[in-house]
Amino acid sequence: MPRYAMVIDLQRCVGCGSCSISCRNENNVSEGVYWSHKITETSGKFPNVRYHYIPTLCNHCENPPCVRGCPTQAMHKLDNGITMHDPNKCIGCRYCMINCPYGVIYFNWKNAHSAWKAENSLIKGVTSSPAEEVRKTGGKGIPYYNPERNVTLAGIRPKGVVEKCTFCDHRVNEGKLPRCVEACPADARIFGDLDNPQSQVNQLLGKFRPFRLKEAVGTEPAVFYIRDFSAAGYPRTKGGV
Amino acid sequence: MNKDKTRRKTWMEDFLGDIKMSRRSFIKASTATGAAVAVGSGLKPELKALAVAAPSGAGEMGQWLSATCQGCTSWCSKQVYVIDGRAVKVRGNPHSKVNNGAGCPRSHLGIQQVYDPDRIKTPMKRTNPKKGRSEDPKFVPISWDEALNTIADKIMELRNNNETHKYMLMRGRYSYMRDVLYDRMTKIIGSPNNISHSSLCAEAEKFGPYYTEGIWSYRQYDVLNAHYVLLWGADPLAANRQVSYYSKVWGDVVDKATIAIVEPRLSASAGKADEWLPIKPGQDGALAVAISHILLTEGLWYKPFVGDFSEGKNLFINGQMVDEEAFEEIHTNGIVKYWNIELKDKTPEWASEITGLSVDQIRRVATGFGLAAPHAISWLGGGPCMQVRGGYTAMAVHALNGIVGAVDNFGGTLKANKEYTTKFPKPDDFMDEIAKKGKKHEKIDQRGRLHIPCIKSGKPGSGVITNNAADGILNDDPYQIKVAIGYMNNFSFSAPQPERWERALSKIPFLVHITTNASEFSWFSDIVLPDTHHMFEKWGYVKAIGNGYRHVTLMQPIVKNVWDYKIDETEIPWLLAEKMAERGFDNLLRHYKEYRDPETGKEPTNEKEFALYSLKFVTQNLWDPAKYKGGDKFSGWEEFITVGVWNSNPYPFRKRWGKMKTKTGMFEFYSETLKAALEKHAEKHGATVDEVMKATNYLARGDIAFIPHYEEPYILGDEKEYPFIHVDHKSRLNREGRSANCSWYYDFKDLDPGDEIWDDVAKINPVDAEKMGIGSGDRIKLSSPTGSLICTAKLWEGVRPGTVAKCYGQGHWAYGRLASKKFGKEPRGGSSNDLIPAQYEALSGSSAYYAVTRIKIERV
Repeated sequence: MPRYAMVIDLQRCVGCGSCSISCRNENNVSEGVYWSHKITETSGKFPNVRYHYIPTLCNHCENPPCVRGCPTQAMHKLDNGITMHDPNKCIGCRYCMINCPYGVIYFNWKNAHSAWKAENSLIKGVTSSPAEEVRKTGGKGIPYYNPERNVTLAGIRPKGVVEKCTFCDHRVNEGKLPRCVEACPADARIFGDLDNPQSQVNQLLGKFRPFRLKEAVGTEPAVFYIRDFSAAGYPRTKGGV
Repeated sequence: MNKDKTRRKTWMEDFLGDIKMSRRSFIKASTATGAAVAVGSGLKPELKALAVAAPSGAGEMGQWLSATCQGCTSWCSKQVYVIDGRAVKVRGNPHSKVNNGAGCPRSHLGIQQVYDPDRIKTPMKRTNPKKGRSEDPKFVPISWDEALNTIADKIMELRNNNETHKYMLMRGRYSYMRDVLYDRMTKIIGSPNNISHSSLCAEAEKFGPYYTEGIWSYRQYDVLNAHYVLLWGADPLAANRQVSYYSKVWGDVVDKATIAIVEPRLSASAGKADEWLPIKPGQDGALAVAISHILLTEGLWYKPFVGDFSEGKNLFINGQMVDEEAFEEIHTNGIVKYWNIELKDKTPEWASEITGLSVDQIRRVATGFGLAAPHAISWLGGGPCMQVRGGYTAMAVHALNGIVGAVDNFGGTLKANKEYTTKFPKPDDFMDEIAKKGKKHEKIDQRGRLHIPCIKSGKPGSGVITNNAADGILNDDPYQIKVAIGYMNNFSFSAPQPERWERALSKIPFLVHITTNASEFSWFSDIVLPDTHHMFEKWGYVKAIGNGYRHVTLMQPIVKNVWDYKIDETEIPWLLAEKMAERGFDNLLRHYKEYRDPETGKEPTNEKEFALYSLKFVTQNLWDPAKYKGGDKFSGWEEFITVGVWNSNPYPFRKRWGKMKTKTGMFEFYSETLKAALEKHAEKHGATVDEVMKATNYLARGDIAFIPHYEEPYILGDEKEYPFIHVDHKSRLNREGRSANCSWYYDFKDLDPGDEIWDDVAKINPVDAEKMGIGSGDRIKLSSPTGSLICTAKLWEGVRPGTVAKCYGQGHWAYGRLASKKFGKEPRGGSSNDLIPAQYEALSGSSAYYAVTRIKIERV
């Protein structure tokens, strides 16, 4: 069985967010929920100021606190290393959210895509309404509903359960890369099998000194970062006293 | 449960003997293979042949179909995943050698646009006869027939009264089907008033390259072979041009090249650069000439391109004139004149004072740039030149490429590769006497008058000056506009000082808007027609450049239209032509019938056939093997629409050295080309070039008007009353002005460095903010001498003190339920354009968006 991981090359990453928006699209995720997200920082003082961007997602930890603390095993590990969630077993206790040190789990406090239930049109008889648009297109819940997500997990998660990135397990099962990896214009996300010594992820992990988020807490994330977002050079100097 | 699925799949794999097949996809694949899949409203299959771009793989419920994205003018080739006629997601088209399968973030918002519930389903007409910002049009739905009948009646009224010049067509977001509506229909009706939006875009950015290199167009940059990339007011990781391609390769470029960005705020690209030059707005010209000065004094100009002193000794010495005879120029014209008239005392010390940049940084960048020659790019963006006195800045910035020999060179600045689309049949035979007379009138935008030369490609009065059309309309100067059609434009939002357009549009007795959403322009319209979405519902094509190639990428109708849209550039003009023929004027219809299907020779008989045949007609050289001229070869139309994109031959480097389309054939520092154009314009008005300079608000007098040079910026507003210079910029999520009704726009707005989600912020340097007692999150009012807006304050270090940076895109008061706070009444956020005065870079006709106004900030 493979042991999936992702390497994110910060030098290639341009901070565009295509990963996060395409993920939102692929997984029918509702507003305010970010399966793929980011940490940004503006550091320094003008004019010596930089902007940094670290793409984030569920780390699919080898030692996952969310799974260990889940009372119903709704949060569980798949054989391929993916940390998966089963909404049918979820009781909405949100212990996983408390246990996760990364804040990558989200709770459905309300019905997803509630804005698409509105029946009002702005110009009577001329413009549509969100609900009418959904009906006419035949999408479930949203006009651009992706039914392929529904093969392994509820296409739209119900109120009262949590949700998070699943490394696009539904795509991986079909031999396809996670959507964020496919959508990244910079090829900054590299997916692969840690148990395959020849995989590109292993080659990169050997070539560069990777870091992982909150390394010290012992979660053993499967998301590794290499190189730097800012690849700037600077004028050679020894500094001074 | 997952394990069960896995077991079942393994069994299926053994049974079918194919690792990728599941039973469902096996069936789908066999029906989809090669055949046309008809979707949509009762359309003949051959008209809606859905050419599947990629065979459906395992687990795939839909098909990838080829498309094109016009979210910005990168014009990438794309694929859309369509399930049962419904668009689900977007990705880059791997067949394009320009964007190479890459896609920027804004492309995904197209999915929310096409299913926007606030799109117009059906034509509508205004029932409130009064027009104004505060007048609710009280739109009611009408049939296409009623709408087209009314429009045709109005056009025929002009024809019958011999007033065809009082018809106006305003062009917004176009494809290269544009001439069908914008040119042919306007001419055959008999009006000169085909008014494009181009000078709201970046015409001044073409001015620099034209009057030096002879190309009135945008450029592509060979970044992967460059050792230095110096960008001026361009943010290719966020906005224009070829965002997808530059995003793809930037990580490699930072390895091989030094990247320096000249930009008053820390842009997305500046965040991934080696040098950020946080220049004072409006002073780019000073930096450009200072860098040029250093290149010459340090002997860093590229000798195989420019030439050298015959004695070998560098006589470019600070402050000293040089004898022109001493220098043997090869492929350039006027380098010594450039030095003598402008550059000789433009030292980095002088520039440092003016630009606010350190002498060290200026020297370091100039030297690094020069040492990298000829693989050193000076990348001109809109920032430095869409300013009142930006024309010469554009020349100075682009001229740096000439000095370092990067023009047409490896690792340098390149033009568009040859492509082989053709034009539509000529309208001449269908223009009757009324039309010919009507067309002779002066255009409503007044281009070519003394103070607005609009010298596009060397011809005075040929470039559009879009924003000035509002003044023409308001003053009936040169005459009244009675009937106007605008398509996919929104001048009462997108133009500086849009309030003038509100008044101008209110004045037009009959106004039609072809649009997807009821926007600020629609608000003043009499009839609004529901348009198709370019990415999913339209036949058309556009071209784009990048990576050393040019691609021609197709738009195709690939989804089931939810409502009753019609294509702006082809279907609607055909239908109007039919209506006019019914009313005794069949010239336009007879003309359109010449657009025959190249495969069958058949004349179009309805608007759907017309839309398809016109595209096949002009692209024939690309898809018809019998007409092959170069680039990708296809077996025919079917293969062309399957792949979705044609790529040119690779770039022919250095072919234009000594053969440029300038007056001298050389790269001109002393621009004989500009001299000829200005003299022609001056002569037309019985004036001198100096008088033209005065009328166009330039300070140059004499010979300096023909060379790049520093001009003090013209910025409105007294410094004491308005202490901050306004810095406008664009968002990586803007789809021109049209993504503001997408929830993803707001949910992801902080992808623009310094901005916040679900808010419209003005970014202020903390030092400035503290002085005013303003904190992040405070509601503030920005005011300029022109107007004001309300937004939220955001303290951010990436802003030059003395400036305020605010992103364009929000501030809609119509368009949709998310775009506006209260539809038709209250804006969400504030629009930059309300602060910006209607000023121009008059030589090109461009609107000035940058370094054109100062503002003040107040807490509200």
